[in-house]
Amino acid sequence: MAKPPEPLNRAAILGPPYPQPVLGNPVSSLMESGVGNCYPGLEFDIRQLDVRFFPGLTFEFLGLEPAGPDGTQGVRLVNAEAESDPLFDDPAPWLKALKRQLNGPEGGALGDGDWYLHAVAQHGSRIELYDFNVFQNAVQMTPYEGETCWWIIRGVEADVDLTVELTQRAPSGQPLGNPVVLHGRRRHFLDDTGMIPDVYRAGELTASMCSPWTHDFRDCACQYWASNHPDVVLGEVVGPQAEDGNAAEDAAQPVTFLDWMRRRGPAQDIAAASTQERARPERYDPYEINLRWQELDFVLHGTETDGTPEMPPLTALHAAYPSLQDVITALTDDLAPLEFTLSMVYLYAFFSLRAPEDISEDERRDWPDLADDLRAARQLVLSVALSEMTHMRWVNQVLWTLDRAGLYPKGKYKPIVQPHSDASKTAAAESSDLEDRVLGLRPATPDAIADFIAVERPANRLDREYAGLVDHLRANADGYPAGLYELAVRIDSDGLQHYQKFRDVKLILSRYEHDTSIYLRDVKLADADDPAVADALGLLADIVDNTIKGYQAERADDMPRADACIQAARSAMRSFQVEAEALASGARKPGESVGVPFFAAWQGHGDGQ
Amino acid sequence: MVSDLIAAARPRSKHAHLAGQVALMAETAALYRLDDAQAAQLADGLMTGDAGTSDALGRLGLTAHDIAPPPADLTRPVRALALNVAQTCNLACVYCYASGGTFGGPDTRMPWDVAQKAIDALIDDTPPGGSIKIAFMGGEPTAARALIRDSVLHARRRAASRAISVGFSITTNATLLTEQDAAFMAEHGFAVTVSLDGAAAANDRLRPTRGGSGSFDRAARGLQYLTAHHDRLSLSARVTATPDNLDLGSTMDALGALGFTSVGVSPMITSPTGKGTLDGEDYATLLAAMIGCGTAWMQATLDRKPHPFANLATALVELHRGQPRSHSCGAARDYLAVDASGDYAACHRFAKNPAGYMGSLGDGIDHAARKDWLADRAVERQVPCQTCWARRLCGGGCHHEVLNAGRPACDYVRGWLHFAMTAYARLMDERPDWFDGVA
Repeated sequence: MAKPPEPLNRAAILGPPYPQPVLGNPVSSLMESGVGNCYPGLEFDIRQLDVRFFPGLTFEFLGLEPAGPDGTQGVRLVNAEAESDPLFDDPAPWLKALKRQLNGPEGGALGDGDWYLHAVAQHGSRIELYDFNVFQNAVQMTPYEGETCWWIIRGVEADVDLTVELTQRAPSGQPLGNPVVLHGRRRHFLDDTGMIPDVYRAGELTASMCSPWTHDFRDCACQYWASNHPDVVLGEVVGPQAEDGNAAEDAAQPVTFLDWMRRRGPAQDIAAASTQERARPERYDPYEINLRWQELDFVLHGTETDGTPEMPPLTALHAAYPSLQDVITALTDDLAPLEFTLSMVYLYAFFSLRAPEDISEDERRDWPDLADDLRAARQLVLSVALSEMTHMRWVNQVLWTLDRAGLYPKGKYKPIVQPHSDASKTAAAESSDLEDRVLGLRPATPDAIADFIAVERPANRLDREYAGLVDHLRANADGYPAGLYELAVRIDSDGLQHYQKFRDVKLILSRYEHDTSIYLRDVKLADADDPAVADALGLLADIVDNTIKGYQAERADDMPRADACIQAARSAMRSFQVEAEALASGARKPGESVGVPFFAAWQGHGDGQ
Repeated sequence: MVSDLIAAARPRSKHAHLAGQVALMAETAALYRLDDAQAAQLADGLMTGDAGTSDALGRLGLTAHDIAPPPADLTRPVRALALNVAQTCNLACVYCYASGGTFGGPDTRMPWDVAQKAIDALIDDTPPGGSIKIAFMGGEPTAARALIRDSVLHARRRAASRAISVGFSITTNATLLTEQDAAFMAEHGFAVTVSLDGAAAANDRLRPTRGGSGSFDRAARGLQYLTAHHDRLSLSARVTATPDNLDLGSTMDALGALGFTSVGVSPMITSPTGKGTLDGEDYATLLAAMIGCGTAWMQATLDRKPHPFANLATALVELHRGQPRSHSCGAARDYLAVDASGDYAACHRFAKNPAGYMGSLGDGIDHAARKDWLADRAVERQVPCQTCWARRLCGGGCHHEVLNAGRPACDYVRGWLHFAMTAYARLMDERPDWFDGVA
């Protein structure tokens, strides 16, 4: 093959240049320059580390005034004394010698008047922090400004002897008199444990930053960078769901997590989205952070300070149970049955909602969102019902844990899977007592949903009961098995979402309130002896029976059997759901929507008479 | 002979050009040396236009790149500033782009606060450790010597505090220079460019005083003050080539005898009055004169002797770097001018010209205007340049001249670059060490 043409000039030898310079770390970047990502300096002003680069001395780096150099630019001494610097506790000889200097004539001289860093010397090289002009035989010295000096200071090595010289200045900036010379070494940015030394005071490293969080690099591909501002916070909830009273009193406030970076607006205070993709459009763009930082609230204890509701302390809500017997009574007679009852009540409401697939073409035309709304509302109600079942299991777990530890009355332990003694077969919808109303089986009418919201409201009775349990366990931690307190805390805190979910249901269905038949089935509670519901009641009995057996097996630590029982209960639940849905949708009794009488098995116990 | 060269340099393909045995890749500015067979192959391709050229290059193992659209933002940080300190002049050169220094307005001097603000803005936008250039222009800038003095001292002080290095330059007719001026400029390491159009007779014809007398003798006196500091000043002459002074060989001799080690020639393409501009056959004469100077420079350089002719040396350095250009100069890109009223212009020639307005000291530099102007002026967007092989070397020509007079000198430019390419190959062969210091 013939030889190729000979490249002559640089363009031919090197090829085309990059159209843009590649930006990245300067070669002088150090490990301690940032959190380890590629754009150092966002979380604090690393220059501030060097205000204490020399042990015992504190400096400030002064820039140029708008009017030009005024003789104060450079590195001005703020403080010189060894006492407040913990580094001097170290017995190293150079520190002892430096301390002697600072407590001697040198330190004494620095205590009077304004002093500036004049020169640094290391490795036999000395750099004066001045520019020199020789003009008509006069030496003119112009001090470098702070940033330039900082670049020089930053180049000073640790663990190598360092000499600093300080002078006073004439108003023009010219150094005056003999310098004070100190010998020492540079301070390490990080101590042996990788921590920034205690000598830096809170706020000192961010003092020079102009906005609290500056730009961040959220949009970098790894999504790693947003490490230095709050993520989700509790804050002021404003929106159509708000109940009576002002937003600060809104009980949703302590349970709704907001995106701290959310775009502020009249109805934007919606719960934080769960993924980056969904959250991103609702957030301020990076450049906007600098423009709107005043809107980004300070966050104390997870709560934006503007929106802190006046919440009574939890301990004041319910006195701790005085004794273990009180705890057991509350759990067996009240809390476990209450969870079971609510679970069934919510299931009844769930089946009263129309299924999205039941929507006719005409309805779809009139209400294009109806199917989606029903799907969402059913999902929310069902999730709360299931959550109540989980709570019931946890309450039972508390009980069998106590029994295993020998704290339960001997031989008396039994799982509690039954309705509350106040649970009524039919809804006491007219009752003036919220609890009466809520413990009855009712379709998901607007009134029923309002009651669900009220009963799940944070700091309402259920919440207070668990708070009492938590307080008792905390106050008497020694007497109880490991893990019990944590379990109680988990039950106590897990219910927070129920309230919000029912509020969402209310919001979703609010547009159909004028005619509830659009979303509700005309469900009729069947009698216990109605043959149509025999299968469903049989499945319900299976569920309860297997659940009780499962809890007993868990109490006995027989996990294989417990698993088998719970699996059987789950299987029965799936069948029950199909059957109950068929009854409610009219598939069993054509034209009739049949509601399952959940509490029929406990006749005489739960008929509310 | 020059007409042959002009013909040989005419654009045949947008992809490449062949000068002797040197091939230029038009888009990347890469240069290759070809052997006889390869050169013949490319020459054949060039005879059949772009497609044939592209094929011929392909057979040589070279890729013809198409013209890519320029980057959206061609601006760079502004690091050089011309201060039009005196919009007035004691001379009345027939061709002056500034119409006697005033840009068509009344005589004006720049007030101190304008100079100070402009300098402060330039320094404050430059990071510590950086470097900037400040050029004093006119009119005749030495008419405002006090302002120059104050500006230099102020810039030194302010820049020193940020460890920014400042380079100063001045373009002057030297007729008003005093001994003190020269000492001051030496003190601060000025690059001084003296405008002179040749020996006494030619210069006085083209560069009379306002009163009508010649200016050469006074310029020569000023020059003496400057050459006394030749070790601390960078001193060069700038010759404006008009139909009246095309004997460049004797101009080189005369200016070399005056002590200049660097003499640059610029053709007069447009003047407000139309006087003194080159036309038609003048360009062929100019090209012949330039090649004559270039040949003399080459001989001197091969003999390791100095020669003042600067244009060829500049061209060779640019060819060696091989940086494809989007513009012919840094105007508006990293260089701006400020006039006496505090308005920014794309360069000193655009003072008082709305076509080059780039903001004001009060409102700040209009960066959007810079960006748009540079995007608009990019050679990639200039229609006649799209098909020209020299576009990435020439950059599309002086903005001021193109906007005023179009591009009458393209044959001259191509002929000159064609000559420079052959000279480059020769110097690479015979004195490659000449390029050692090229950054």
